[in-house]
Amino acid sequence: MTLSKLSLRNARRQARDYLVYFVTIIMAAALVYAFNGLVFSRELRRLGTMMDSLPLVIVLTSIVVVCIVGWLVQYTTAFMLARRSRELGTYILIGLEHRQVAGLFFLENLAVGTAALALGTVLGNLLFQALRAVTLSLFHVPYVFGFSFSLKAVGLTLFYFALIYLFALFRCHRRIQSMKICGLIAYDRQNEREVIRKKRGRQKIFIASILSGLIGTLLLLLRHLPAGILGAALIIFFLYGFFISFSSGVPSYFEKRPEKKYKNGVLLIFRTLSAKLATMGVVMATISLLFTATLISEGSGMLFNALFQSRSEQTTCYDLFIASSSLEEDHFEDYLAYIDRNISVRESMRYDIYQGEDQQVTDHIGAAADYWSCFDYDTLMKASDYAALRSMLGYPEISLGPGQYRVHCMPYLAKILKEYSLPLSVNRHTLAPAGVSTESFTQSLWDGNGRGFILVVPDEVLVSCPVSHSIYAAMTDEPVSAGQFQALCQIRDEKDTAGGSYDTLFSKAAAEAESASMYAVIVFPLYYLALVLTMVAATILTIQQLSESDRYRRQFELLRKLGMDRREMKQVLFRQFAIFYIMPALPPLFIGIPFILSLGGAFDPGTLSGPAHLLMTTGSALGSFFSIYLVYILTAYASLKRNVLPEPYG
Amino acid sequence: MLHVENIEKYYGSRNNVTKALDRISFDVAKGEFISIMGASGSGKTTLLNCISTIDTVSAGRILLDGENIAELSDRQLARFRRERLGFVFQDFNLLDTLTLEENIGLALTINHADPQTVKTKVREAAEQLGIQETLDKFPYQVSGGQKQRAACARAMVAGQSLILADEPTGALDSGASKNLLEIMTRMNRDMGATILMVTHDAYSASYASRVLFLKDGRLFNELIRADRTRPVFYHEILDVLALLGGDISDVI
Repeated sequence: MTLSKLSLRNARRQARDYLVYFVTIIMAAALVYAFNGLVFSRELRRLGTMMDSLPLVIVLTSIVVVCIVGWLVQYTTAFMLARRSRELGTYILIGLEHRQVAGLFFLENLAVGTAALALGTVLGNLLFQALRAVTLSLFHVPYVFGFSFSLKAVGLTLFYFALIYLFALFRCHRRIQSMKICGLIAYDRQNEREVIRKKRGRQKIFIASILSGLIGTLLLLLRHLPAGILGAALIIFFLYGFFISFSSGVPSYFEKRPEKKYKNGVLLIFRTLSAKLATMGVVMATISLLFTATLISEGSGMLFNALFQSRSEQTTCYDLFIASSSLEEDHFEDYLAYIDRNISVRESMRYDIYQGEDQQVTDHIGAAADYWSCFDYDTLMKASDYAALRSMLGYPEISLGPGQYRVHCMPYLAKILKEYSLPLSVNRHTLAPAGVSTESFTQSLWDGNGRGFILVVPDEVLVSCPVSHSIYAAMTDEPVSAGQFQALCQIRDEKDTAGGSYDTLFSKAAAEAESASMYAVIVFPLYYLALVLTMVAATILTIQQLSESDRYRRQFELLRKLGMDRREMKQVLFRQFAIFYIMPALPPLFIGIPFILSLGGAFDPGTLSGPAHLLMTTGSALGSFFSIYLVYILTAYASLKRNVLPEPYG
Repeated sequence: MLHVENIEKYYGSRNNVTKALDRISFDVAKGEFISIMGASGSGKTTLLNCISTIDTVSAGRILLDGENIAELSDRQLARFRRERLGFVFQDFNLLDTLTLEENIGLALTINHADPQTVKTKVREAAEQLGIQETLDKFPYQVSGGQKQRAACARAMVAGQSLILADEPTGALDSGASKNLLEIMTRMNRDMGATILMVTHDAYSASYASRVLFLKDGRLFNELIRADRTRPVFYHEILDVLALLGGDISDVI
């Protein structure tokens, strides 16, 4: 048999042994290819002005992804080398040269890598279509399926994977070259020793790591860049210090407490885990780090998603919105002239926002909520304007009785304003509260329909009130195009240079396009990163577990002969398995959840509708992380149980 | 203590049946040390597997202390194995990840012994077998003889009444074999352990009080040592082996 045939046969067998790894590499290749597709897609780049920065962001994210996948490949090939050391040692024993064995190992890994890359590219094409569809829908552009094969994307993916594989295989090559036969043959039977042998050293590192974990998490929550970087460094120290000192401390803990060691299945579980102490500590810490990064990316992605969604909803409820604090009667004429000529308006309105006598409602909100005020008075609106605007926006009709006022506010202020029951006095009229509405109403910025809220009062009350600012609002038949919006902005800029006040201009289409671009540039890469991080970390855990199948099977076969119940064996296996998968996921929860909550709290008031929205977003981040993790856990457990405790055994 | 009655064991499908055991019957009294001898493929290990409940018989019955092991449920079988049987295997079957102490203690843990007493019981058993110095070592750090003594300690530490040994000296050098066999004799004589040992080595078999010879799945002969010295018994065993034919080179 030629060497290449032996390589191919080994590669096939290896693909079976490391199926999870193979699938992950395929998925990683597919993701890298799909995102490379975004980098080179002119169609998507033309969608918005901000989309120009998408390629750079994706390439930067891909570099991080390549490093992480590179670590996975390097770890797995080194792991396979260790697992197959006896076989490789036998090849050398029967006369193959080190160089030939290294070549054999190189060839079979290259074959697995190439197959994964080829399959990944095909799958990546479909994934790219999905990404394209999502991006187009964000910009409200109709999606038409078009099977596009980007040679440049394939080239870039190939380049990334060549880097990953050549680096990993070069390291293995060097290791094989320098190994002795006896070392290779005896490699897989030895247990690992504790990394830190001295108890005092272990305790010191353990305490220091816990402290640095706490301080690091607090620094992250400060949302200050230098403090955040220091916090991240402390968290890395915490994870490695914690897992290494913890895993080194376990044997000595049980050594001193034989009564605990010999209880139920503890002995077997503890020894199975402690057999790989040195690597376990480092692997657990690295996995934990990856999971922390996953949760942070996923949580940030979801929060930014909520931010962009609420921003495009809150920016304006009108298709076109112009506000000005100029009180000149003909201030809007230039705009209207352009609009009449170029934009098909379905319905439009000009109205004023008035200044109240005091700021009693603003003060009430300021005391009860996270709120920055823009006016030193409460803003008021005529009931007739309000009714007309509601009708224009298609909101249900609301009537206001004489002597009453109504509040229209952003959803997050609704509870505070519903509790507000004081009468309002305007122009010697005293008005009683008549309820709160919370539909989208262009209230997130200063010169909209109030800042956060507006008080709707009977028209006659406002007769002699001063105007705060004037607004032109329109609903159009077609969304305002980027060119039309640009032209209106130009009119605004010319007015500004003429020395007037600066007008505010919004178009719903432009706001949505901006949010969509921000979504694509920020949220896509974060999800991309989170997905790869989860898959890589879960794969390493799964490979660790499944590659131990043989050892576990021998162990449980012996236990069966010695008379252990199948039920007890299942329990031992399950507990062993659960500890292995739960341990590295715990620290990320303690770091990730506070981080997501704190980041959510940092957004402008009103971005999230309340604590429930924030908790839901955090829950979704956790949910999407655990759903992927769970797929790996269930696959690994089912496979392990099938291999280790086959059904016919009693 | 052990009553084996007309047991048969077949392997294979309907068209291709191999008879591994053919109507074998014998009794083992409490405190006996019995050797089962035979060439490779004579059915020794199959017989041991059937007695140890790892395998089932096709016909016949095996009674241990009057209890028919074929009638026990899976859970009862597991319980039967952990409480009544001790195993010593040719390749030791110690867990690499456990120290010798833990490997011995494993039998007690499986028997749900009080965790407080495990260490003391293990130490006592180890002292009797002379391996107290190596208790905190892992199997790959000790010699084959020490491993096998640890396996013997595991086979008796939980008070098991019948020790089943499958070629226990198969992987040991002559010195370690002699040492182990003397220990097994002591376990039998001083501690009252009943031992059933499968071997194809006449020297090992000569340590037993009775030797059963198997050929092609059938009981071929039986030798009882009685008052004879071990060397004399050894030569008698060799004579029977010569009669068994063809396998003499295989057995010494």
